[in-house]
Amino acid sequence: MFEGKYYNGRTSKGMPAFITLEPAYIRVAWQTDDETGTEIWDLSEIHNSEFNDANTILEYGKFPRQSISVFEQGFKEALEQQYRDAKFLKSSYSSFAKTGMTGLVVGGLSLLGLAIVLFVWGIPSLAEKVASHFPVSYERAMGAQLHAQMMQGQTIDSAKTEALQKYLSALKVESDFPIHVTVVENDMVNAFAVPGGFIVVHDGILDKMERHEELAGLLGHEIGHVQMRHSTKALTRSLSYFMLASVLFGDVSGIAAVIVDNASTLNNLEYSRTAESDSDKAGLELLVQNKLNPKGMVWLMEKLNSDEPEFLKFISTHPNTNDRIKEIESHIPKTNYKPQPNPELEAAWAELKAD
Amino acid sequence: MQETSTEQETTISKPTLAFKGQGSELFSIQIVNIVLMLVTLGLYYPWAKAKNLQYIYRKTELADSPFTFHGTGKEMFIGFIKGLGIFAVLIGVFMYGFMHGDNGVKFLCFALYFIGLLALIPLAIHGMMRYRTSRTSWRGIHMGYRGTLGNMYKVYFTGFFLSIITFGIYSFWFDTNLRKEILGNTRFGNAKFRFIGEGSDLLLVHIKGYFLTLVTLGIYGFWYMKDLINFNINNILIEQDGKYSRLDSSLTGGQYFKLAVGNLLIIVFTLGLGYAWVVTRTMAAIFNNCEILGEFNPDALAQTEEEYKNATFEDMADMMDIGLV
Repeated sequence: MFEGKYYNGRTSKGMPAFITLEPAYIRVAWQTDDETGTEIWDLSEIHNSEFNDANTILEYGKFPRQSISVFEQGFKEALEQQYRDAKFLKSSYSSFAKTGMTGLVVGGLSLLGLAIVLFVWGIPSLAEKVASHFPVSYERAMGAQLHAQMMQGQTIDSAKTEALQKYLSALKVESDFPIHVTVVENDMVNAFAVPGGFIVVHDGILDKMERHEELAGLLGHEIGHVQMRHSTKALTRSLSYFMLASVLFGDVSGIAAVIVDNASTLNNLEYSRTAESDSDKAGLELLVQNKLNPKGMVWLMEKLNSDEPEFLKFISTHPNTNDRIKEIESHIPKTNYKPQPNPELEAAWAELKAD
Repeated sequence: MQETSTEQETTISKPTLAFKGQGSELFSIQIVNIVLMLVTLGLYYPWAKAKNLQYIYRKTELADSPFTFHGTGKEMFIGFIKGLGIFAVLIGVFMYGFMHGDNGVKFLCFALYFIGLLALIPLAIHGMMRYRTSRTSWRGIHMGYRGTLGNMYKVYFTGFFLSIITFGIYSFWFDTNLRKEILGNTRFGNAKFRFIGEGSDLLLVHIKGYFLTLVTLGIYGFWYMKDLINFNINNILIEQDGKYSRLDSSLTGGQYFKLAVGNLLIIVFTLGLGYAWVVTRTMAAIFNNCEILGEFNPDALAQTEEEYKNATFEDMADMMDIGLV
């Protein structure tokens, strides 16, 4: 028999009670100044009880629940002994806590490891898979919207855009997406690809170019981004990071913000190093396909590698330019053909450079 | 029967508040939660939250008796799914507008999205209060929430728009009015709460805190935060059988400094894994410094609530990052 307090679920007054553990039920005999009573608690109606330490609490029945609270030592042990397999004594909480400090430390560290693996490797590869199953038509539609939005507030140089389009159509290009180019007036030496085949070239970068092979290399590089869907992959990746964080921390309201935020910074999205070098290779390939001098790609890189501050931005979002040049040069000896003059490209180039 | 023990038991228990949770215990719950959430791609979240809350409530004591959180993962899962559905629709509207060429449609969709989000906030607060209080009990006595959704909208939107047109000055009155509405409708058995803080006093706390923080190069910031916490606690009254008691927080700036810096160090040096200790330290700092002054009698509460089970907006409040209780 144990001493404790009984609460009847109607008031918060604790009534002194004697609790007896019978084989099939618990008997609670309570008394107040002017009343006494006995409750018979059927084991199946006792609620699961956890986290008890000094004070063992059992709750019973439907709303409002009755309960007992026992401070007396040994009550918990007596319960466990008497009702070994009873449902109300099962706890899913303490199982891990029982492993002690070592268990917690090991568990914590493995969780940290898991998180790192997931962030460094799991999410990017998952995002890549998802992006490659994105329908082409949808990507095109999304790109068209993004492109239209980005062109707001930009001054389009329509004469140069036309000349560049001419140059592009004279090139042999293989792409799943129809390629659409735009030249905008901007001194910043930059060019970028929007998903779905939209390429935006600043006239600043055109001014720096001396040979048309550099332009072909640049277009090849950007078409490579488009074709390999690098922007879409980057977008999916940052969205996946965010979604993971939001399910872990239960905050879903910011997803729209991430989409907008990413869309607005699309012109300086950070591609991975491999994405950049894959696109460099695509640029080189375009030169080869069109029998242009493969050195064009190197000349382009050298322009970007100059020390002028206006290049800084472009370079900072890209891998080390010297490394890229070395990598491109290592691929050039494999190409054994004589560069052929291409009058059509040269005519379009002349038009582009004419001021 | 021993005479001494019966004598002791008939004395009225003192209404002290205490938090007895331990970081290591909470951590052992959270680590299992995180693993299960990762494995289920987040779907375990409601169950994880239920376990968390059950632990925290159970370790919070009034007059040596613990609180109990009765909410279950299953109840909250249904709410979670409904909440996700509503968010999916809103984000869908937003994306549709984003992809649409026509600027009129774009504007309409964005407007719908923001109005939708705005309209959800009072709904989420209301739903969460109803659910959370109904699932909270102490010695078998349930808490309850009697506020109406209509009043919540009125208080919320009045406050919101007045705050906008006064360039934020009204937001202090908005804050206290919202607390008045929420606490004024909260029941603890037959006891009622009231919030008596005024916007003007809150404004003074902020002005004093802001300028002293500037003058002391940020050091007063801890005292500023302490003042805010104490403002929110000390203005809570409990009415029981016509008698009033008041909550009183004795949290000091020094204690808050220790709490905040300690929490920061824990988070930084455990790369976030020590979050459980941050929770238990914070709860302990707040509850162990909190007293009930007056004639509150913890033995004289009577059950007044009906059973209530809708959990739809419990998680909505989470998704929108509204933390109240």
